[in-house]
Amino acid sequence: MSVSLLEIKDLTVGFPAEQGILKAVDRVSLKMEEGKTFCLVGESGSGKSVTSLSIMRLIDYDGGDILSGEIFFHGEDLVQKSQEEMIKLRGYKLAMIFQEPMSALNPVFTVGDQIAEAVMLHQKKGKKEAWQDAIEMLRLVGIPAPEVRARQYPHELSGGMCQRVVIAMALVCKPEVLIADEPTTALDVTVQAQILDLLRQLKAELNMAILLITHDMGVAAEVADQIAVMYAGVIVEEGTVEQVFSHPCHPYTLGLLKSIPGYESERGKDLYAIPGNIPSLAQLPQGCRFHPRCVPAREKCRLEEPVPHDLGSGHVVKCWLSEGAERAEKRSPDLPADMNQGEVNGGKEVRTL
Amino acid sequence: MREYFLRRLLQSVLVLFLVSLVTFALIHSAPGGPVRIYLTPGLSQEAAKVQAHNLGLDQPIPIQYVRWLGDLLQGNFGYTFKNHIPVGKILWPTVGNTLILMGVAWFLSLVIAIPWGIYNSTREYGLSDQSAAVISYLGFAMPTFWFGILLQELFSLKLNWLPLSDMYTMGQARNILNLLPHLVLPVTVLTLGFLAAYVKYSRSSMLEVLFQDYIRTARAKGMPERRVVFRHALRNALIPIITVLGLDLPILVGGAALTESVFNWPGMGRLFVEMAMAREYSVLMAITLLTAVIVILGNLLADILYAVVDPRVQLAGRGGRAA
Amino acid sequence: MSGIPIGESPLSGNSLPGGNPGPEPAPRVMSLGGMAWRRFLRNPFAVAGLVVLLFFVIVALFARFIAPFDPARIDLLTSNLPFGSGAHILGTDELGRDIFSRLLYSSQVSLLVGFSVAFVSVFIGTLIGAVSGYFGGFVDTFFMRMVDVLNSVPLLFLNILMLAIFGSSFVLLICILALTSWMGVARLVRGTFLQLRETEYVEAAKALGTSDWRIITYHMIRNATAPIIVNATLMIGGAILSEAALSFLGLGIQPPQTSWGQMLSNAQAYMLTDPLQAVYPGLCILVVVLAVNFIGDGIQSAIDPRRKVRRPRRRWGH
Ligand SMILES: Nc1ncnc2c1ncn2[C@@H]1O[C@H](COP(=O)(O)OP(=O)(O)O)[C@@H](O)[C@H]1O
Ligand code: SF4
Ligand SMILES: [Mg+2]
Repeated sequence: MSVSLLEIKDLTVGFPAEQGILKAVDRVSLKMEEGKTFCLVGESGSGKSVTSLSIMRLIDYDGGDILSGEIFFHGEDLVQKSQEEMIKLRGYKLAMIFQEPMSALNPVFTVGDQIAEAVMLHQKKGKKEAWQDAIEMLRLVGIPAPEVRARQYPHELSGGMCQRVVIAMALVCKPEVLIADEPTTALDVTVQAQILDLLRQLKAELNMAILLITHDMGVAAEVADQIAVMYAGVIVEEGTVEQVFSHPCHPYTLGLLKSIPGYESERGKDLYAIPGNIPSLAQLPQGCRFHPRCVPAREKCRLEEPVPHDLGSGHVVKCWLSEGAERAEKRSPDLPADMNQGEVNGGKEVRTL
Repeated sequence: MREYFLRRLLQSVLVLFLVSLVTFALIHSAPGGPVRIYLTPGLSQEAAKVQAHNLGLDQPIPIQYVRWLGDLLQGNFGYTFKNHIPVGKILWPTVGNTLILMGVAWFLSLVIAIPWGIYNSTREYGLSDQSAAVISYLGFAMPTFWFGILLQELFSLKLNWLPLSDMYTMGQARNILNLLPHLVLPVTVLTLGFLAAYVKYSRSSMLEVLFQDYIRTARAKGMPERRVVFRHALRNALIPIITVLGLDLPILVGGAALTESVFNWPGMGRLFVEMAMAREYSVLMAITLLTAVIVILGNLLADILYAVVDPRVQLAGRGGRAA
Repeated sequence: MSGIPIGESPLSGNSLPGGNPGPEPAPRVMSLGGMAWRRFLRNPFAVAGLVVLLFFVIVALFARFIAPFDPARIDLLTSNLPFGSGAHILGTDELGRDIFSRLLYSSQVSLLVGFSVAFVSVFIGTLIGAVSGYFGGFVDTFFMRMVDVLNSVPLLFLNILMLAIFGSSFVLLICILALTSWMGVARLVRGTFLQLRETEYVEAAKALGTSDWRIITYHMIRNATAPIIVNATLMIGGAILSEAALSFLGLGIQPPQTSWGQMLSNAQAYMLTDPLQAVYPGLCILVVVLAVNFIGDGIQSAIDPRRKVRRPRRRWGH
């Protein structure tokens, strides 16, 4: 295993509220490697955005506090850095793009201005040179006639075009890590595929690591090298795309997989949906946070929080069912029949979606 | 851009036309009506009839309206009832005096309020923010003329620091040194009134913007906070402020009437009040229309500024967003 | 209070009976109103405002019994008495009228003007807004141009002009103030109507053959009720200030009736001899208007708590 570029250790992030401090992210750890795509998957509200904003230390501006944990980037702990120090990293070595491309761009400045701004600031280039870089970058993200587009305002561009601009803005300084928080959620399906393709291609060209955040397992299957599944602030399962898709061990992961259209072999069946809703942070269930929604939940699940189990070669699961299971391939005998039905062949089939 | 502006101009002309219609109708419903305005007082009944005929006052009301409008456009506002003085002669000097007073107060309040509101938006519920909230509450609930009287009692009568009223001290040269001390109290009163509203606007408008996605984008790009606030946020925050400033103009002009009355400032507002007591309708009509023109011009100016600050406006005129 | 569907947000479609023109189920509305009421009670400023307003209402109602003197009684022998002159607690004015008694009686005028103007202009505004929003087209254009006209003339000037033309009387004053302050409510109601016009339940009500008037009253107005109440509360303060201003200028309340604004204009003339005379009426106006505004804000945040949700606390670099 190569040295990780970005490593999060036991990150806990809270928001002060009337009920006390609500932990939106609870002891999350993950490792990102150079040139690889790491996918963070989970339903809306599971803490993915809070995790990513914490890495950028932008969570400070949303009223969140990093309560404990470390975020190592090139061996330096970002949690200990001041905002002044973070400013030098943000948009330069660490870049981030957001869900809503239209609202992510400032309506009163031209697209070119907004891209060039980062170049002028971080690389200390003059305006002319920065604009050249901006136009170059617009070309790289596949915007036709970039010289013309650069002089336009965001409202003059389509949603897909805006997201390309946002990507160009994030990548113009050639960052080492790109955090993409649901970059395709707000876009049409066809545009979605184009943007994912673009990210894949740019990753190779710029040799950066990508932290891709999505609630869509299908998207994760398409681009991820490594996957972490997040639920109510904790990572419940983690592994390579192969491990998680071929041998999902956490009931939540399984539920997410089953809700991908075409995942189950029988067509025409209603799309599966995990029963219930994600709990609010103020009323987190005791024991395993997933137990109210979990079909095979046992007595122990209600009382004790499961501890992480390494099923071998980095496939880690936080579920009591996996206790004692040595190998990822081995199914827990307790998994009920209905959860085992249908050969799990996710990985490859999903890719052909 | 040009189409947008032309459309707004057309709308303004329409509104102005309607204002003139309403004013005309109001005056015509007054006891005595227009005859009182235009006829030389003290004429015999016969002579009055002749003059009314000559002036067209015996013609149908719509025709009278058209003629009145025509006169207005030529700058003829009619004559006062009492001494038969041309209205323009007493009106025009007051306009400048009002503009001086309002201009200074408005400028001061904006210069204080906008930076203060911005500062408060970045430090919500801090000491400065709380004080601004107190000022806002007081400014909205306090009768401005009462505040003026209190200031007069304290600074003019008790401490004897500043002149009690008027624009210039009688018998002295009418220069800026004479003017300035007279300006202090009325400007203070007006500034506090405007400040109350503007700090609130600027704070809430800035807060609204600071929570927008593009602000987070700017921070994610590594922009220093100063640049985030003053470059990325401010320009967007100005958009609603400009609109509100335009909409508030009538309140601004109306407020002058009270302050001018308290401080005996020879402006349009005080003239309006005096002429109302004397039932000099021709002057009242002229001032009403003039203020409407000022307000509408101000709104037009706000529209232009708006279009300068917000690139999206230019397309709105052409109907919708380009793909 | 519990009968008013205060807790409804203007657009919460699910609280509306789909296609059923009958009255809404009461219990739910009541519980929401009750919740809003409880939230209101938890707001110290709003409660203080309510207490102060109630105090002034009681004073106004019982002025006749509380006031030690007839406010209009002129007694030149005891004129211009200073603060604390025996029975004349706050002294007397230049005509020997008891200032304290005049203050008490003036509260009647202020409150009556405030509440009546708010009531009448809400009535006018709701009517115009509802008709504009519901029928649209020419009717809408007509009323909206009217709003434009009223918004491009200083309303104080317009009030003065109308008072000059039609003369000053108490009822006229209220009418004139109401006629020039309905625009906010009209805009609000119209906006709600425009949004609601296309929604399913109105379509359904129409399909069921419910008359236009019934649709307006039963379905739409109740959806705009909450913001109207807030607007009306704030209008009370505005009307009190307007009355004071007009009376101060000599165009509002005329003697022998008395009002705080009129007392102020009197006091200004005698500020050299008795500066305190100007303090009391202004203070009364300030306190009443503050109280009403606090109540308005309190209602606002009680019926729409989402708006009051404290935004996240933010740190600015460190
Ligand atoms: N600024 C904030 N203040 C308070 N709570 C927040 C804030 N941002 C997020 N949260 C809470 O943190 C939890 C996780 O949110 P988020 O990370 O946005 O979820 P995801 O991105 O996975 O959809 C949610 O319960 C949300 O309510
Ligand atoms: S620990 Fe229990 S409740 Fe939690 S996911 Fe596993 S089986 Fe379900
Ligand atoms: Mg998110």
